[in-house]
Parts: sequence; C-alpha cells; structure tokens
Amino acid sequence: MSDLVYILQQMINAVSLGSLYALVAVGLSIVFGVLKLTNFAHGDVMMVGAFTTVLLIGVGMPFIPALFCGILGAALAGLLIERIAYRPVRNAPDVTRLLTSLAVTYILENFGILVFSSSPRNFPLPDALNESWQFMGGAITFTNINLLTLALTFASLIGLGWFITKTTLGLGMRAASEDMSAAQLVGLDVNRLIVVAFIVASGFAGLAGILWAAQAGVIQPQMGFTPLLKAFVAAIIGGFGSIAGALLGGFVLGALEIFIVAFLPDAITPYRDAIVFSLLIAFLLFRPGGILKPNREIKL
Amino acid sequence: MTNVTRRTALGLGLSAALMVGTTGRSYAADPIKIGFPANLTGNAASLDAPMLNGGKLAAAEINAAGGVLGRPIELVVYDTKSDATVISTVGSQLIDSDKVVGMVAYSDSDSVLALGPQIQKAKIPLITPGATSPKLPSQLGDEVFLACFGDNVQAAVGAEFALNKLNAKTGYLLTDIGTEYTTLLSDYFVKTYEHGGGKLLGKDSYKTGDKTFTAQIAKIKALPEAPGFIYAASLVDEVTLILKQLRQAGINVPVVGGDGYDSPLLLQVGGKAAENTYFTTHSYIGEGATPKVQAFMTAYKAANKVDPENAFAALGYDAVKLMADAIKRAGAVDSAKIRDAIAATSGFDGVTGTITYRPGIAVPDKSVSVIGVKDGKLMLASESAPTFIPEP
Repeated sequence: MSDLVYILQQMINAVSLGSLYALVAVGLSIVFGVLKLTNFAHGDVMMVGAFTTVLLIGVGMPFIPALFCGILGAALAGLLIERIAYRPVRNAPDVTRLLTSLAVTYILENFGILVFSSSPRNFPLPDALNESWQFMGGAITFTNINLLTLALTFASLIGLGWFITKTTLGLGMRAASEDMSAAQLVGLDVNRLIVVAFIVASGFAGLAGILWAAQAGVIQPQMGFTPLLKAFVAAIIGGFGSIAGALLGGFVLGALEIFIVAFLPDAITPYRDAIVFSLLIAFLLFRPGGILKPNREIKL
Repeated sequence: MTNVTRRTALGLGLSAALMVGTTGRSYAADPIKIGFPANLTGNAASLDAPMLNGGKLAAAEINAAGGVLGRPIELVVYDTKSDATVISTVGSQLIDSDKVVGMVAYSDSDSVLALGPQIQKAKIPLITPGATSPKLPSQLGDEVFLACFGDNVQAAVGAEFALNKLNAKTGYLLTDIGTEYTTLLSDYFVKTYEHGGGKLLGKDSYKTGDKTFTAQIAKIKALPEAPGFIYAASLVDEVTLILKQLRQAGINVPVVGGDGYDSPLLLQVGGKAAENTYFTTHSYIGEGATPKVQAFMTAYKAANKVDPENAFAALGYDAVKLMADAIKRAGAVDSAKIRDAIAATSGFDGVTGTITYRPGIAVPDKSVSVIGVKDGKLMLASESAPTFIPEP
C-alpha cells in the first residue's frame, strides 16, 4: 500500500474522530458564549441522550427515531438543569456557578449509577451501521456509522449556522453572548434566549453522546467525562466561547491525536496525551484566545 | 440485657448490614472477620462482582459446615469503585475499625498495589484471587499471596499458543500503557514469543479509556506483510472496541490476550467481532468442564441464579476457601500465624487448580486455560503450562 493511501486513511480517521470532538465542543461553547458558564454537566447530558436512545431501542424503536428522541431527551434534560440549578445562581459569583455545574454533574452521574449500575452495557447499533466500506482493495475502510456521524455533524452545524445568523432567536442569542445587559436594554427577553441556548447546546450534547456511544459500542453513566475533557481542550485550542473556534478546535484535536499515533515513531506515541495537554498549556500561556482568538478573555 | 450486650447486639446488627456471607444461622461465637474490598463499580466491576459472589458462596459453605475453629467467618465487604483513593480509605477502615484478620482482595494488580502498603504495615495477610502480577510479593512484601498464576506464566502460554497452535510466526503487539497489568503482560509476552522464534512485525500502544483505535489499526494495515496474529495486552472494555474496529477495517487475524478479557462483556459488546479471539485464563467454566468445576457451577447457579460469569468467580471461591483453610491450619485467629499457614500451603485443591507455595515464593504454579471464541461461544482451546517462563 502506498504512503498516500495510508495518509488518506489516517485523514479519514482524523476527520471522523474530530467531528465527534467538534460536536461536543460546539455545545459547550454555546453555553459558555451566552452564560460565561463552564458547564461541566455537558458530559452528563450526553449520557442522558445516549441512555434515552438505548432504552428506546430496547423497547423496539428503530435506531433513527430513537436517535431523535435521544436528542429531545437531552434537550429536555438541559432545559431542566437550567431551570432548576443554574437560573437561581445566574448572578452569583463565577465560583458559585462553577461549583453548581460540578454538583449537577455528580448528581446526574450518581443518579445514572443508581438506576442503571455503573457497569457498561452494550449499545445495540443496527448491523447495517456497523458495515464497512472498502476501497482500493480494502486499503481504505470506513463504516456506515462513521458516515452517519459525519453527515449528522455537518447537517447539525449547518442548521446551527442558519439558526444563529438568520433567525430572530438565533440573532438574539448571539447578541446576548456579546453583551447580556445590552441585549436586555434593547428589549430582548434574556431568559428566553438562555433557555433556547441551553436547549440547542443540550441537543448537540445528546447527538454527540449518542454518536460517541454508538461508535464505542457501550454506554455507562460515567461515559461523559472523557468527551467533556476532550471538548474543553478542543474549545480552548480553537477559541473558547466561539462556535467556529470549537468546531475548528475539535477537528484540530482529532487530527492531532490520530497523527501523533500515525506518523510519529513508536517510542513517542505513548506520550500522545502528554503532547496534547502540553499544547493546551502552551495555548493557555501564549495564546489564551485560541487559534481564532474570540474577543473576550477566558474565565472559568 | 445489660448496656454492654445491647451495644454488641446493635454492633452486630450494623455489621450484618455491611457484611455478606452469613448463612442466617446464629452462632454463640463472634465471627472471624475477613476483609473483602472489591471494585463492584467502575472499570473492574465485571471481574470483581463475580469474584465476590464466588467468595460469598465459599463463606456460606464454610459456615454451613460449622465454620472455622468453631466460629463462623464473616466477609466484610466494601465497594472500592475501581478508584485507588477509595481503596486506600477502605483499607484503613478494614484494618483500624473492622479489625479484620486477613483480606481477600481484587482481580487486578493496580488495586492490590493501592492496598498493599497498608496491609503490609499492619501485618495483615492478603490473598488476591485474581491480581496476576508476579512482582506483587516483591513490590509489597511478605504478607501478599496470589491465588492465581502470574502474568509471566499466562503471557508465556499465550505466546506459545500463538506459535504452536495458531502457527503464527509473525505477530503484532498492542499494549494498553495505562495499567501495570497490561504493560507487564506485554513485556512477558515479547520475551516468550521472541524466545520461541516468533517475530514481531511492530508494536503500538494506547491508554485505558481510549475509544478510537483507527490510527493504530491503519498502521497495521500499512505493514508490508500482514501479521499472523495480534497480541493485545488489554482490558475487556478496550479490547471489544479494538476487535470491532479491526474487523471493520478488514483485519481478521486471531487476537490473543490475557485474563483481562475473561468477562461476559467480551461477547456482549464484541458480538461478531469477537470471533477468532483467544485469551489465557484461570479455569474453563462451561460445558465439558471437570467434575470439580461442574460442582462449583451448580452451587454458584443455585446461590446467584446465574452461571459463573468468568473464572474470577471460581478464583474468589478458591481464595476464601484457602484463607479459611489457613486459619484452620494456623489453629488461632492471629494474623501472623495465618500468614505463616498461608505460606506453608501445599496441595490445596481448588476449583481453579492446585495451590502450593514453594518456600519464599507467593505465586503458585498453576496451569493456564486458553479459551477461544467460536460461533459466538466460549470454548476451551488448550490447557497447558508454558515451557519457557520469563523471570518475574
């Protein structure tokens, strides 16, 4: 197999992984953009989405409708979290809000452990989605679930782009993320905008959670932690709080992780995570705004 | 009832809520407490939960037969959540407030390493049913005993199985560098495989918790020559994903690994991708097993309503029986004497094989079962002792 084919396969792998990171990071950035809140519970909303889908498949619903119900379930969870936990502390100091989001994480995760136990369960992905496509005599392969992930990622991102540039609600959301009090002064219903932001972000979390679990083949209540961590890294590399930055960061991170393993000598690959996180520190030190440098400073 | 006895009664009631393994019979004598911390949640749960069920079964049988030294035994169980911090907290609790005389603990070396310093300091003997690092006794000290073979032995059997039974003279090595267990297993495998004339076409690594192995797999596909098999020193959560992604990429060579695969998850999550996978483990528990294993299977099913999930159920059973046997031979409920009695064990006939500790060596010589996946089922592929065992 030629080097070119190998590089192509690794690029496919990178885009496929990157699209998952991007989905998680975008949701995280929407909430951060509007509320300036680092939403640790984002990973657990992913878990809610994945569990909803798996439970519905378990009672006989086909995959695609179950996927949409999972997204709705996650959006509903996000709505409730905002209403019950975040709204009462909206004007509290940053530390209070950060701790509230940590608390929500623990509550959701432990609730999941109590109800479903913490052992992993199988994600009943239809066989058709596990089928793989082979090109160039099997030198290039990718699976239907990879394709579906890519398609849904791009469809949802295009949808999001349309929403925040063309609709009143979306424009309002962007206005609120620029300056909350100014948005209020010009007569925007800020409460409503925040609720919308949470629903959209949580829907993204749900979609990401379902696709993540579908690719991994398992779900468990603690499943949200790793993607959340990766999404933070992606968002910071790309530019925290900016949707475009999160998107870019997701793909950059996916590519980094794959390329470190793919193109560096075996002796270096064990340091993959160390390299990625060193880069994160470098960004925080030298370019805290990330690649895209959105016009605001990062606060936790 | 005086105040003191009422308090004792209350104490017993409270500990009854925590303990497992009572038969419901009442004894005049105080129970002998054996600590049984287990990772009932988290990564190691699919191994530790059956192990605990096996241990409970052994305790129930011992107590039904009149206990040890005229006293019942009581397993003091805590969930340590596959978390080193929790393990060490629970360790102090077992030693300082529960005052256990010995412990039976864990299916993985990393957890034993987290608990070891405390039991060593308090001079409490520990039998690990399933932690397979042969280095544990030398890393921790003379209170630590393995009820299972060491990783050097199982990795050697895996390597020789690949060379002789799969006839795979070339291989590829994937190692999870996130745990002590998998890194050791990987090292031992390389030593025996290369000693036996096998050639590794390459090796690669990943970390516990990774979900995407496509980069590593593309590297295997890009090799000028396809390997005869892949040795994946992995835990079950990752190997099921590795298998899925390998098969999707069109790589169908056999995958061989260690007892970390011995979990129902291998078939449940791996599904069709698990075909052509082989792993070394402690005992074959299934159709056509030995009468001793059959008897264990029947008793386990009667107690737990399910068949033994894996060999760790039998190891938990054996380890508790061994501890009770040692207490009996010690003739006293005294940690120092129990330790010496464990060290003197010779010809203990367990479900998973015979346990004998040679002087100064706390790892028994046991035979290794190789289990393969065929048509969605586990089958015994071979049972052997290796001819070349790397130094621990």
